[in-house]
Amino acid sequence: MQAWKEKYVSYIKNQKQPSPPPSEPGGEKLSLSLSANLEKLLHGLGQSGDLVVREFLLFGRYQAALVFFSSLVNQEQIQEHILKPLMARSNDHPGLPDKLTELYHYIWNAAVQVTQGTTAEELSALPSEIVKGQLILLTEGSAEALVLDMRQVDTRGVDQPQTEQVIRGPREGYVEKLENNLSLLRYRLQSTDFRIEISPIGSRTQSRVALCYLDSLADPKLVAEAMRRISIIQTDGIIDAGYIEQFIEDQPLSPFPQVQSTERPDKTVAALLEGRVAILVDGSPFALIVPALFNQFFQTIDDYTERFIMGSLIRIIRLIALAFSLFFPALYVSVISFNPELMPTDFAVAISGGRAGVPFPAVLEVLIMEVSMEVLREATIRLPQMIGGALSIVGVLVIGQAAVAAGLASPITVVIVALTTIGSFATPAYNAAIALRMLRFPLILLAGMFGLYGVMIGTILIINHLLFLESFSVPYMSPYIPGKWRDWKDSLVRAPLWWMHSRPSFLHTRDNTRLPASIPGNYTQQILQQGGETNEQFPADHNTAGGSRNQ
Amino acid sequence: MNNSRQITTLRAAAVISSTIIGIGILSFPRYMADAGGSSAPLVAFTGALISFFSFWLLAALCRRFPKESLFVFSRRLIGRPPAMFFTLIIWLIFLWLTGLTARQFGDVATSVLFNKTPIEATIFLMLLICQLSARRNIIKFSYIHFFYLPLIIGPVLITILISMSDVDLLNLQPVLTAPSASFWKGALEASYLFQSSFIITLLVPFMQLPKQAVRAGAIGIFAAGAVYLLIVIASVGMFGAEETKLLIYPTLETARSAVIGDGFLERLDALFIVIWVISVFTTIYTTYYLAAYLLQNLLAFRDQRMTSSVLLPLVFAIAMLPKNVFETYTWTLLLGKASMILMVGYPALLWAVYGVRRFHKKVIP
Repeated sequence: MQAWKEKYVSYIKNQKQPSPPPSEPGGEKLSLSLSANLEKLLHGLGQSGDLVVREFLLFGRYQAALVFFSSLVNQEQIQEHILKPLMARSNDHPGLPDKLTELYHYIWNAAVQVTQGTTAEELSALPSEIVKGQLILLTEGSAEALVLDMRQVDTRGVDQPQTEQVIRGPREGYVEKLENNLSLLRYRLQSTDFRIEISPIGSRTQSRVALCYLDSLADPKLVAEAMRRISIIQTDGIIDAGYIEQFIEDQPLSPFPQVQSTERPDKTVAALLEGRVAILVDGSPFALIVPALFNQFFQTIDDYTERFIMGSLIRIIRLIALAFSLFFPALYVSVISFNPELMPTDFAVAISGGRAGVPFPAVLEVLIMEVSMEVLREATIRLPQMIGGALSIVGVLVIGQAAVAAGLASPITVVIVALTTIGSFATPAYNAAIALRMLRFPLILLAGMFGLYGVMIGTILIINHLLFLESFSVPYMSPYIPGKWRDWKDSLVRAPLWWMHSRPSFLHTRDNTRLPASIPGNYTQQILQQGGETNEQFPADHNTAGGSRNQ
Repeated sequence: MNNSRQITTLRAAAVISSTIIGIGILSFPRYMADAGGSSAPLVAFTGALISFFSFWLLAALCRRFPKESLFVFSRRLIGRPPAMFFTLIIWLIFLWLTGLTARQFGDVATSVLFNKTPIEATIFLMLLICQLSARRNIIKFSYIHFFYLPLIIGPVLITILISMSDVDLLNLQPVLTAPSASFWKGALEASYLFQSSFIITLLVPFMQLPKQAVRAGAIGIFAAGAVYLLIVIASVGMFGAEETKLLIYPTLETARSAVIGDGFLERLDALFIVIWVISVFTTIYTTYYLAAYLLQNLLAFRDQRMTSSVLLPLVFAIAMLPKNVFETYTWTLLLGKASMILMVGYPALLWAVYGVRRFHKKVIP
């Protein structure tokens, strides 16, 4: 209690004389006096509970101090690899130089066991280094400081991605730390072509943003454009990749996402191999992929890991689900309230029978049900998982059964709403699914006002909007529009991998060939033939191997 | 990446073709049957030929100036004031054409398909989506046509193919009747439907291969012509010429009569309505775009965003002007005649000037 009161008083005092703005280049140099340096440094950093200043006798001879943030560094390693060798007596170090100017050289070469480090002469540069997780060694009588990298932040283990589950495919997802994520990429993409450009964005958070691309593939214009858009971001903080996304997308007013975000390193690598660019942010378990097209939001890793017929069928099913989630309620409303003659007679009779007790017009009924479904969905996401199950049971009971019994909705409306909801869950990308779910409401309203005609007008508007959209100068509806037939191999259906000789042409990659052109179309024939040969060779190999082992 | 010459020949053809297929689909067979009886298909074919001739006159001229649209190079050819005058006339024609087409659409839609929707709302919504879409550049304009064309042609062809099994060849005979006055009148009326192929004047400066403007038009006009021809053949072949004359919307009746299996695909007319609205949208979109572009050209604005918004109340007012369906039809025919004269006359005039000026002094490259 008492300690906090002192803090409060000193805080008020400090408010009156604000601390100098963080590091301006070409600032003050270090002086020869350790205590003066320390005092200025501490003044620049301000007071902080986790700031450690460890003063000690360097090699038993010189006054020295280590300055670091205990929350950002690995203290055990500092004890083991820095303090221990540096506090050894000077007779343990026979080569110890007499001149102070060579001291850091000696420490760096012979004493400390750290991979990265530099020396700094400017005092004003030091606070920002300490904030990054560096460790500063200052010595009495030296106008230089040794800056050693000891950064270590705890991270959660690599786990299965929560938002993008797959049946067949890797179970690795990104974690929050940038280095871990980059290592996941490097591990999959062991190529010297793989380039990573890192720079800090955000005047206060200084979040490190990494731009990844394959140098021999990605269109230089695309890479330059991505760099340009990232570099002009002016903001104080980047908390997540989603912040970057909102600054760099082409059309912020559109409901459709124009940047793909993924938790999966394998998906990122696949995108990089197509010639796209990925953006990772330190502290975010999501990578952004640009350019992102409409098509991409309905593709999953499963499409590619399963055989092509399965992949294609499932893709088509996803598209049907998409149509469900967007059009079904609107079509239902317009048909039963405006054009019942478009239904088969028996069905029309059944529907009007079911709707007999419902007091609202169809559009109101559907809107009520759809809105309550949205509320239920949002509630299930926000609730802790222990309660979520109970909630969904209540929701299902209320909406499925009780609403019908109470005469609030007709059974067929419940069926329609259920189909819609299920359809929207079948879209793999959550943000794209949300876009379509939300567009459904204007469509229902249009259907309620103008019937089938309203639905068609709404649909034409949505399609036109999609046709006008662009993501990093690539038309959003590529490869359908403006299409090259070649690119259609990986669109609505997924052609066999051995057919896809080339990368998507709309990405303007430097190297367009995915498979060597020499592989002829009848790839399966070739495999069968080769398989035959190896089958013949296999027993012979086996025999020789066994023979050699016997010797 | 931002090369402005992005429109391929195929896409230009798609624009022309989806523009042409439009409002006329539903009632076209009736006019043709009126004009030619059992030789109705021949009337339609002649109409397509006539319109291709006028298109050729125009496109071949535009081809000579691959970097500019008609309204820009005409100023250099015949001088600024006359060119502005003709541009104004063409603008008026497309303004009225847009309004009247929207009105025709509204009439059909409210009387046959969407009975409960008021005609004002029908027309206004249609014009509104045209206005919103007309704010974009010509490349995006071509995307829209390219995207919708398969959606229009595919279902129409399927419906026609299904109904072909009910076609009685006797109804189509005699194929050749002696071309009478009404035959030629019908052919001319048919050619009015093709007038929006004027859009090629805007496309040429953005085409990858401007030399292929005529080829694009040929593909576009004959694809659309084939669709119209098939519709006429299906309707007249199914109902006979005399009955077709009595049906208000023979094509819709054809779609209604077409059945696959035992009611497996029964409601083809519902599909047809959807397709029809889309095809009308692409048609009105083109004329609206032209009107907006021409106004922008006249007022020397930077792009047509502003003018497309200004046009909306104007076109809506025009669409509301005719008192009834008959007036709409009379005005449309009148407009068709006027525009036919202009569409043939103006390019012919420009050709003449071009020939003379190039012959005497080599001003024009």
